[in-house]
Amino acid sequence: MSPPALRVSDLSVSYGKAAILQQVSVEAGPGEVLALLGPSGSGKTTLLFAVAGFVALDTGTIEIGGTTVAGPGTHLPPERRDAAVVFQSYALWPHLSALETVAFPLRAAGERPEAARAEAARLLDAVGIGPLAGRRPAELSGGQQQRVGLARALARRAGLYLFDEPTAHLDAATREAIQAEIATRRAESGAAAVYATHDAGEALAVADRVALLRDGRIVQAGDPAEVYERPTDRWAAAITGPVSILTVHREDGNVLVGGVRSAASVPGGAEGSVTVAVRPDWAALGGDLPARVAAAWFRGPHSDVVLDTPAGRLSLRVEGRAGVRPGDPAGWSLHRVWPLPD
Amino acid sequence: MSTGRSSGADPAARRGRAAGLAVVVAALAAVVVFPLFDLLRSAGEAIGDGGVAALRSGGGEAVANSLWTSATATTVAVVVGVGGALLSERVGGRFTGALRVGMVLPLLVPPFVTALGWTRAYGPGGLLDDVAGVTLPGLSGGLGIVAATAAHVAPLVYLVTAAALSTRARPELEWAARASGAGPVGAFRRITLPLLAPAIGGGAALAFVASMNSFGIPAVLGIPAGFPTITTRIFQDLARSASNAAFARVVLLATVLLALVAVVVAATDVATRRADPIRPGASHEPARPPASRAPWARGLAWAYLGFTAGIPVLALALTGLTRAVGLPPSPDNWTLANYAEALRGDFVGPALRTLLLAAAAATAATALGLLLAAVSRRGASRGLATAATLTFAVPGSALAVAVLLAYGPWLRDTLTIILIAYLAKFWALGHRSAVGSIGSIDPDLLRAARASGAGPVTAARRVLLPLLRPAIGAAWLLVFLFGLHELTMSSLLYGPGTATLAVVTLNVQQLGDVTVTAALASILTLPGFVAAIPLLRRRNGRFG
Repeated sequence: MSPPALRVSDLSVSYGKAAILQQVSVEAGPGEVLALLGPSGSGKTTLLFAVAGFVALDTGTIEIGGTTVAGPGTHLPPERRDAAVVFQSYALWPHLSALETVAFPLRAAGERPEAARAEAARLLDAVGIGPLAGRRPAELSGGQQQRVGLARALARRAGLYLFDEPTAHLDAATREAIQAEIATRRAESGAAAVYATHDAGEALAVADRVALLRDGRIVQAGDPAEVYERPTDRWAAAITGPVSILTVHREDGNVLVGGVRSAASVPGGAEGSVTVAVRPDWAALGGDLPARVAAAWFRGPHSDVVLDTPAGRLSLRVEGRAGVRPGDPAGWSLHRVWPLPD
Repeated sequence: MSTGRSSGADPAARRGRAAGLAVVVAALAAVVVFPLFDLLRSAGEAIGDGGVAALRSGGGEAVANSLWTSATATTVAVVVGVGGALLSERVGGRFTGALRVGMVLPLLVPPFVTALGWTRAYGPGGLLDDVAGVTLPGLSGGLGIVAATAAHVAPLVYLVTAAALSTRARPELEWAARASGAGPVGAFRRITLPLLAPAIGGGAALAFVASMNSFGIPAVLGIPAGFPTITTRIFQDLARSASNAAFARVVLLATVLLALVAVVVAATDVATRRADPIRPGASHEPARPPASRAPWARGLAWAYLGFTAGIPVLALALTGLTRAVGLPPSPDNWTLANYAEALRGDFVGPALRTLLLAAAAATAATALGLLLAAVSRRGASRGLATAATLTFAVPGSALAVAVLLAYGPWLRDTLTIILIAYLAKFWALGHRSAVGSIGSIDPDLLRAARASGAGPVTAARRVLLPLLRPAIGAAWLLVFLFGLHELTMSSLLYGPGTATLAVVTLNVQQLGDVTVTAALASILTLPGFVAAIPLLRRRNGRFG
């Protein structure tokens, strides 16, 4: 069995007295994409930079493709780690053209100038900016700059890609295009990747595994469906997507709202009130449960409806127009909940 | 800056701007253009009157000395300044702040005080001689001038390079090269060095110009050793000779100095103009943990600071406290008599005069700088701003000779003529600071004030002024400090009853009274440090 593409064990990093990362352990299998999901300041970038070799560790070890690159007594420099980086700020060299930039890693790997330039041109074509090969960063838009950044990383031909919020500085339309480009090229290369982002949708879409990072600690890790459907606490529930927190009544494993029995159930026998997470797709308009409409927003393909229920405020999503107005009484149904610790 | 602050269609604003522009142009013409024009005209006459022969005899040696000491000092300063910048910005880790302050601190000591300190620390009978029997050979003369000048101008190279390292050659660009497979040397050579080159070139030009213009250091280390430079030759010819030939030589030397500096400034401008623009928006990076921690970096920086400024200033202070030269600076030889002597009636007048001149120059330079920044927005008036900044590169010696030629017939031996020279030299400082702070204010802030119902005056008073106040204060303090320390122009323009404290200190030193000189120099340096505390605090963390 081949070793994991990345294994981070018990990693701690501090800056002065401030602990940035504490006992972080994560793993990405061969060809797997690991998403690091967390708010800004949670340590995502530091974790990526520690893997890349830009940041020194206090404790812990980092293995890339089975090779220990950092640990007690070991600190391989970035150029000797089998990893390529795509930066949030693009980090393009202002004095080099797109072609020279992408040829840089190839030249560093020892390729002859002509071969490096030919390969760089091919990579720029692949990411869709072949005609802009002669331009310098200042003459490129943000999306074009990040395509150059991606091509540069691809040119490294590494076994592991590190994406540090690569779409954070892009507008919504460009973000989706770049996201798709990255996913396609990464999949073609067959290499594993770590993808840092603060956007739940992005993390769930690109990743095979998601690790939730909060204040330098891993709060939860699992596959995308798992972290979406079974968050460990309120914070994990909120960072992984839209969610409502309700206080419901449990009786024989069934969930009751305002004394009315719903289709949802929670494990456990004891009778009493339970805090649960409800995703917008776990509830629907129409049913026996009582509520009053607090707000309804038509968003084109769907509408977001906010209900005031006896269990708390609930957001749900309906296709097309909702057909309800604030103040209306509304019946609703609940088919799934996930219990959270109080 | 693509959108103007006030709308061009507003006739009142346009009239106000035109009036401001007129004031600025008149002031620039009076304090800079007219005197320099007079200098060039006099130089032409001097050539006709056989001044070239006068320049050859004695002048040639001074020019050659200035050139080689400046070139050598610049080379040393580039090595120290660039090395220091790499140390503080790349290796320093959490010591970066301390390293930055340490590298810049020597700027706060007036150059001639540094030179005095070096003689008291490393010269014969100096502190190191007393303690360990060690002296630096060649301190009096060319080599000493090179060393002290390099220490004094290295912070200029450092500041420019450190700023470029955090804005142009950002660490991330080097990391990207490392992550692309380049080794540390390759990443530095192919990425960091090309990006730094314009800054290093600019810093070297600054250092060279400052070295050429420097008067205090060669005055202290060169004049006693019979080692003339352009600036000290001008001083000696002007102060100690009344012959026409000597005056012709003064005018020609001032012109030669001006021309040499102008050539360097112009060449640098051409060479660094084609710099790749940094894309705005991509440059504001969050602070990142450092790649390495190096306590030795701090040790090295403090050792450097101690050698170039700390020990010399200490030696000077101790000399000021010692009863007589030749006695070891131990407590039983301490006395306050030198300070009492320095604070006697003879020196109170110069001290008050210095404070008055510095305060007046600071106020006028800040006001003019603000006015210029306010009226120069686009097109032609931008050129005016460049011109004002260029005047800062004009050698103080040349400027003083020019002002003397232009206004000497009416204002010789007055404080006014010294103030004119100060203003000509220093208003660029006030201006640059004002431009920086006005430029950093988002025009939307003023628009928001207007949209909230404030008139133009209220908007300026309630929004613009509070935001500008720290920068105005800092600019004032900076010019005040330069005014306190000014020696080059004051020493050429003073007359009976208008000597400043720096001039008096130089005169006492040239008369050979070492202990009183040391006491005076200490007194002169102290307010600089006090005044600089808010400057340093304000810039704590980031320079440039």
